Order: sequence, then C-alpha cells, then structure tokens
Amino acid sequence: MTKRLLIVDDEESILVGMKRYFRSRGYEVDCATEREEAEALLSHVPYACVIADLCLRAGHGADGLDVVAYVGARQPQTPVVVLTAYGSPAAEAEAGRLGASVFLSKPQPLERLAEVVGGLVGSRS
Amino acid sequence: MSFLETILEPGRLSVLFQPIMELRELRPRLWAVEALVRGPGASSLEPAPILFDYVRRKRAEAVVDRACVTAILDAAVALPPSLDFSMNIHAVTLSRDPEFLCFLTDAAEARSIPLSRLTVEIVEHAPEWADSGLAEGLDALRHIGIRIALDDVGLGQSNYRMMLDCKPDYFKIDRHFVKGSHCDFYRQAVLESVAQLARRFGARVIAEGIEDPVDLDTVRSLGIDLGQGYLFAAALAPPALASSGFWEGPAPSGTTPEANRRPRPWARTERREEV
Repeated sequence: MTKRLLIVDDEESILVGMKRYFRSRGYEVDCATEREEAEALLSHVPYACVIADLCLRAGHGADGLDVVAYVGARQPQTPVVVLTAYGSPAAEAEAGRLGASVFLSKPQPLERLAEVVGGLVGSRS
Repeated sequence: MSFLETILEPGRLSVLFQPIMELRELRPRLWAVEALVRGPGASSLEPAPILFDYVRRKRAEAVVDRACVTAILDAAVALPPSLDFSMNIHAVTLSRDPEFLCFLTDAAEARSIPLSRLTVEIVEHAPEWADSGLAEGLDALRHIGIRIALDDVGLGQSNYRMMLDCKPDYFKIDRHFVKGSHCDFYRQAVLESVAQLARRFGARVIAEGIEDPVDLDTVRSLGIDLGQGYLFAAALAPPALASSGFWEGPAPSGTTPEANRRPRPWARTERREEV
C-alpha cells in the first residue's frame, strides 16, 4: 500500500520541490502551508509520516510545534520529522517532548530526508 | 497566498447537486436537490469535510459561506426552474453576519432565482452560535420565503437546543442513524423518535445516506418520507443529473441520455413490495 506523507512548510517553493521528490519515490503526498490546514488534514487523513517546518509564519515563533503536538493528539503512532533553519537546543527538546521523532536542520539534502523518512515508515526509500 | 485566499478566488469552489427524493409513493421521485460544495480541484482540501474543517479552524465561516452562496447560485442557474434546492450555511454566519441576508437576496435576484426555491440547511460544529442573534437571522430568512432545515440531526451541535432555536421545516437525520437501520433495533428507535418529534414540530424528516433498498424500506416504515443517498444518486453536476433521467435536459457532450441512464437500484424495492 502506498504510504502517505504530510509536508507542512510555509514556503511554497520548498513544498513543491519536496512533493515532487517524494512522489517520485512512490509516496502519496499532501502539503499544507499553515497550521490550520495541517490540522484539518490530520483530522481526516491517516499519515505514515509528517514532515513539519518549525517556523510556519515569520514572527510567530516555533508554531510548527503546534503541529507536532496535534499529530501526537490525533495520530500518536505517526512519526514526525521537524525541520528548521533556526534550531536551538531548547526547541529541539520541546519538539522531542511533544513527540517529534527526528529533528533536522535546514538545509538538508532530500536524499538524507528520504532516508530518515524511509527508516521511520519502514519502507525502502 | 494562504489556502483561504485561494478558496475565495472566483471559480475555485465547485458545486454538485444530490437529489432528495419524495418517498411517499411506491416509486421515489425527485423532490429537490442539495447543493454540495467541493474545494479547489487537485488540492488536498478538495473533499468537503476537510475543506470545512479548515474553514472552521480559520473562523472564516461567514466569508466562505458567501463564496459558497455565489458558487451555488451560479451553478443553480442550470437546474430546472421549478426545482427547489438547499444550501448549507453555518449558524455562526446567520448570527454574526448581519449583511448576509442582503447578500443572499441580491445574489439570488441577480440570477433571477426566486427565494422560494431555497432551503437553508443550518450546520454548526462549534458552540458559539448560541451566544447571539441566530433566531433573528432565521426569522429574517423565513420572512423572505426561505425554508429552514437542520442538518446532521443527532450529531454534534444539532441537538435539542438547536432544534428549539431553529424550529426547522426539515430535520435532516444523519447517515450514521440510517445506514444499517434495517437490522438495528436501536437505530430504528432513533429514527422513529426523530420522525415523531418532527411531526410535533410540523416538520418533515429527510433521511440522509440511504444506500441500501432495505434501509429505504425501514425509513419508510418509520414514517420518513424524504430521503437522499447513493441508492438514488451521488452528488452530480446538473448535466449529469439530467442525463441520468432526473429531468429533461441537455446531456454532456459526447453522451446520450439513454446511454447515461443509470439503473435505478430502488426498483428492486418496488419489485419486492409487489411480490
């Protein structure tokens, strides 16, 4: 069965690139640019893995953590990969406390990200 | 551009219509249609449950309801002029958008659609509707000839208090209670009690989600005489409904009404009743 990913990032260009890449590797991919969109999808669609940017809106802090928390509440079995260009030990610790499986800094080669996701969902990537 | 801005761009929402059937006679016949809005095509939020979940999280019900009204009325122009139709409107829109009624009236008038053809189905998922002028909004709708239906009866905020506040002309009982009712005593009990309650309100019940002829038999036997569901038809665009034989009209290009005419599954029910 095809595994479905949710990618959450406020930068459209990043979403488009990641969507194309993961589709080419056999995943179904949904994208969200904001927290509410991600939460609506998570309420209705089961995901094999969620990839979330830490900062979804400039000036709103680490609101990607809200997405991590929501995944923990709605789909506790779903692993979450948190990406950030502005990582801090405190944010990483908080993401881990909320249930994030992996914390990666940006930029990250897509091959590396696919490796991580593949390991989490138990598929060849 | 946020997804909300995308939704609000003209032409991004699409509209389908699902037949609501009159069940009083042996052979169900078309009574009205319900307009069902879909999100932008090819987006993750195209399915209605996800689209409106997002809209509610953004607290954008009123502005999106207006966009839906525009899309629905544009699409309704292709319906037969004698056919009534319903549209879903959030209770918070009626209670918090004082200009909504004028907007709806003007939009219908601009398309020469009489308001008497309209039923507004009240939907609500949040409790905030209770704190303001819903009753005034509903009274105003009635005053201009629009009928009121309460959607999703039995679930969420469509509870007894909402029934009292809305005093609906139609109770739309959710598919959860209809599907499988033929073999479930408890579902039958719920359906029967809603039918009795509606009668006391002077209202009619519409059973949603009828997919099986035996469930159709059950809702009929419990005094429910309006229904919709895949047994009759999925939600379709007006040309597809016409070509399926629901009314006379142009077929989609490259097809013929006869070629598109779907078998009518409820005919099985008729045959069984005749034996």
